[in-house]
Amino acid sequence: MSEGLGLADGAVVVAPILEIRGVAKRFDATQALEDVSLSLHAGEIHALLGENGAGKSTLIKIITGVHQPDSGQILLGGQPVTIRSAAEAQRLGVAAIYQEPLLFPDLNVAENIFISHQDRGAVVGWREMFREADKILAELGMTLDVRKPARGLTLAAQQSVEIAKAISLNVRVLIMDEPTASLSAHEVQELFKLVRDLKRQGVAILFVSHRMEEVFEIADKITVFRDGRLISTRTRLEATPQRAIADMVGREIDLTKARTSCAQKDVVLSVADLGRQGVFEGVSFDLHRGEVLGFAGLIGAGRTDVGLALFGIEPATSGRILLGGKPVTVRTARDGMSLGIAYVSEDRRQLGLVLPMSIFANITLPVLRRYLSRLGLVRTGLERRTADTFRDRLAIRTPSVDLEVAKLSGGNQQKVMLSKWLNTNPSVLILDEPTRGVDVGSKAEVHAIIGQLAAEGIGVIVISSDLPEVLVLSDRVLIMREGRQMAILDRAEANEETVMTAAMGQRSTDSIDGRPS
Amino acid sequence: MSAVGTLKSWEAMMLALLVAIIAFNSVGSPYFLSVGNFVNLFQLSIEKSIVALTMALVIIGGEIDLSVASVMGLAACVMAWTFHAGVPMPAAILAALGAGILAGLNNAFWIARVGLPSLAVTLAGLIGYRGVARILLEDRAIGGFPDWFNTIGQQALIGPLTAAIAIFFVLFIFFAIVLHGSAFGRLVYVVGSNAQAARYSGVRVGLVKAALFVGSAFVAALAGILYAARLGSVRGDMAEGFELDVITAVLLGGVSIFGGKGNLVGVGLALLVILNLRNGMGLADITGNTQNYVIGGLLILSVLIPNMWQELTNKWRGRET
Amino acid sequence: MNWLKRRVRPEQIRELSLLVLILAAIVFFGSFIDNYYSFRTFNRIASSVAIITVVAVGQTLVVLTRNIDLSVGSIVGFTAYFVGTLIASHNGINPILAVAIAIALGAALGVVNGVIVAWGKVPAVVVTLGTLAIYRGVLVDLSGAKTVTTDSLPQWLIDLPLVNVAPIGSLDIRALFMLALVIVVAFQIGTTYLSFARRFYAIGSNPEAAQLIGLPIKSVVFLAFVICGALSGLAGFMLLARFGNITVEAGRGLELSVVAAVVVGGVNVFGGSGTVTGAMLGAVMIGTLEQSLFRLGISEFWLDAVLGLLILLAVASDAVILQRLRQLWGGAELKLLAKETDSVSSEQSASPP
Repeated sequence: MSEGLGLADGAVVVAPILEIRGVAKRFDATQALEDVSLSLHAGEIHALLGENGAGKSTLIKIITGVHQPDSGQILLGGQPVTIRSAAEAQRLGVAAIYQEPLLFPDLNVAENIFISHQDRGAVVGWREMFREADKILAELGMTLDVRKPARGLTLAAQQSVEIAKAISLNVRVLIMDEPTASLSAHEVQELFKLVRDLKRQGVAILFVSHRMEEVFEIADKITVFRDGRLISTRTRLEATPQRAIADMVGREIDLTKARTSCAQKDVVLSVADLGRQGVFEGVSFDLHRGEVLGFAGLIGAGRTDVGLALFGIEPATSGRILLGGKPVTVRTARDGMSLGIAYVSEDRRQLGLVLPMSIFANITLPVLRRYLSRLGLVRTGLERRTADTFRDRLAIRTPSVDLEVAKLSGGNQQKVMLSKWLNTNPSVLILDEPTRGVDVGSKAEVHAIIGQLAAEGIGVIVISSDLPEVLVLSDRVLIMREGRQMAILDRAEANEETVMTAAMGQRSTDSIDGRPS
Repeated sequence: MSAVGTLKSWEAMMLALLVAIIAFNSVGSPYFLSVGNFVNLFQLSIEKSIVALTMALVIIGGEIDLSVASVMGLAACVMAWTFHAGVPMPAAILAALGAGILAGLNNAFWIARVGLPSLAVTLAGLIGYRGVARILLEDRAIGGFPDWFNTIGQQALIGPLTAAIAIFFVLFIFFAIVLHGSAFGRLVYVVGSNAQAARYSGVRVGLVKAALFVGSAFVAALAGILYAARLGSVRGDMAEGFELDVITAVLLGGVSIFGGKGNLVGVGLALLVILNLRNGMGLADITGNTQNYVIGGLLILSVLIPNMWQELTNKWRGRET
Repeated sequence: MNWLKRRVRPEQIRELSLLVLILAAIVFFGSFIDNYYSFRTFNRIASSVAIITVVAVGQTLVVLTRNIDLSVGSIVGFTAYFVGTLIASHNGINPILAVAIAIALGAALGVVNGVIVAWGKVPAVVVTLGTLAIYRGVLVDLSGAKTVTTDSLPQWLIDLPLVNVAPIGSLDIRALFMLALVIVVAFQIGTTYLSFARRFYAIGSNPEAAQLIGLPIKSVVFLAFVICGALSGLAGFMLLARFGNITVEAGRGLELSVVAAVVVGGVNVFGGSGTVTGAMLGAVMIGTLEQSLFRLGISEFWLDAVLGLLILLAVASDAVILQRLRQLWGGAELKLLAKETDSVSSEQSASPP
């Protein structure tokens, strides 16, 4: 708190590091940014809020030189600059970290850290580079083998390498575009420690996130965008989540109200001692009709693996699955589907949707068989009718169901994915990170849909790293840690503290994999 | 520009090109527009045209089959070898088709089951199947097939059409329906666009790919037999190097080398463009060699010009605002 | 084991295992063929491998950037023929100048490929499939179907393949093989230690990231094609020196042998990993088999069948067996040791498609 106040004082005296004056940008018919002015001071964390398409990304891309503004000015350290490329932005001390880390899987960690350095000479001094990389990571309180290729690093470790990369460049302005979207609560705290360190060193940070509580935890100033325009800039002390959300969507939305339970007596899915060798083990729970069971835990705790095992993508190697009281074997995704299990992937773009194809083709894909005529041809008319039904039911905003899914916003893509699986008439619906990268308005809609589905009697499993979301949605919360089930908490027992305690488990005394670090 | 828009404009471009070539050719030679010329024209490289149909499906499915020409050679050699060994011709033909299916199953196993890149597997197939063909025939040429067999390859059977041309049209319609109307066709596009997402939707990706490669090899074997019938004799190096011409035609037809995009109408138009261009140039006494590189240039330009055009219009629009 | 793990990077397992395979093949054939362990065998393999290797080095750079150059065979034929014609008509030409012309000619053809791929945004397969036909076609048209013959060439060129540069005992290291070796070593060092050369790997490994952090993708891809063209030009000169008689068909189909060498050598066809040393070992493996099968008295007709099988096995062993080895080698340690909450498998680390 105190540092935020101190900087507010400093800001009066010191000129901003980065100043944006009246920037506008147009893509074909859409005005992506309109007359945006914003200033960023040293040692300040400035959060950008806004729904998808509000103009945050365009602004970031203009600052990092990916796009050129149609009009307006960018000033760095008081000097007007033209940033023509990402490389030029880096030379000027502007670096960006994105939601999905941009590492080179075939290059080693050290090389990834120094990849953007143009001042290291024509010859790579490997020893020196390894030493310096070790040093930078040590300063961040991390130990990684910098000689190993980046392939196979966990997302959290990749994010750390990204930060090391930014630090190695001596950045003055660091842009973080949804850096926490794929991180668990604990990892977010680790990241925030680093961010506060950078702030103390005088780096100006532009922080984009959809998670309101994170923004209010870390930001000094909060700016809200809507429809390409800057709506408001407030200090954290002046701002409230309610006001920010109202600015973002133009109306009031409450994401904190718990869903009323509609769980029924009969068990739809019963899992006993389920395991997959080397991945997770000992998972047992009952899922009732109409119940929402939350899966909480850190990234890498094995929650997604349980979902994949139930659906059959990566089948379980031990334990039993009972569906409606009958034991079943799930070896492939087709098995899962025919048993009425649906798994909505966390990775919309890679695993969830076929982006270049139409909305209707995506929705009917798992059950294409149902749409065949007697001659074995696909009845696209019928497909369109199905898709139109879902468009109305889930309020998918699109001019036509013939549109490519790639052209939809994240929230609407999420709804297409939900439609696709609801169309299989599942009795068990597994939702993996259902609101990742989805804006506030759509998030509320997705929550409402989940409630509605439960009310219809579907057993829903929600895997989410967004702890408030899990708490708001779930009737019970199952917590996993390192591939093991730690606890199942009732709604009455579950709160941030109890869930995190279970997710962190006991602090282990021996070092990881027994190697001296 | 949407994918649909791109495709539409692609076909429009091919069609315009085709009309221009035909107009130019028929002005140059009154003989050009006759049925006889059309049949001759088609017959000249009908085997490649047939194989291009399945190649289009394979490439739309996100893979590539470099082994088709070798499978053509292999099938023809198996047929000739078994026939030479005293087996009746119909049985020899069945053996040839069987060899094609085996080759396809081999490709399919490594690609769909083991998960190796198709470029590497079918490159091995290109060399290996040709090798087997050479083992069978060494440096001999085997001919002397029954008359009815040679007739199939060389004479008009259905109206003015030869058997091979008739088969091409039947297969064209068949594969157009499969690709654009059937569930399998839909899955080919899905797998070609995003195989992972397909798997997560319960699509048996391996099965789709296996079907593509077995189908491709089977059709290649059929084309190899037709080629043998047309030539009247078979050698170990038969159809060598055809794979590049086939792939050229498919890519010229607007099929994306990265999979998921393209259609058979475009491929059909591209085949017609190539044939008419070759024929027109042939009538104008331009050598086959020059024809080769004109088509090579056309292949590059067909992608390059739309790219440049888009770039230019983007720049122009940028200046306007 | 730990020492080995520290010294040997997982990517190098590929090359080591290929080396072991080559040695195994040599021992295997040695036990069947009389007089196998002779300089003659070595020389035959060496001279047949030299040309493929030089082109394979260039191809490796192109493949690293997620592209492919199918026009190399035509470039080799093109330069071999035209430099041959030039030397035949000007017998007094300075040898260095002749080589420089061959390299420049190849590079110029590479420039055409590179410009269209990098700035025209046309997929490399499409471009080089086109230029494969175009370069060959131009060659045939311009040549008027004449041939370069050995007796029209100066003596130094005819003698070149037999020049013994570095006699080790009674083992000959002949000029062309030596040249190939020098190129492999130079490019291996270059791709390991030169900053700009590391970008070949970066771009193929993750093109989107390369774009966002502002690596000059276009120039790097362009450069890869130019180098590949230049090395193909040099290989054209080597072909001329080795055979003397050059028809317009020279080098036809070479692209397939080169791609085969690169693939067997463990260069990932989807870019980002592999080394020029691997590509050379791939070429040596194929060359060894070709020569040995020939010596074994097996009908030459069997050669291709065996070769196809070998390529398949090489790729399969890489994908199936070495994948596991690599996980053993490289897994587990890649973790944030500072944190207390890591698990064996990560939900997120599923390898990127």
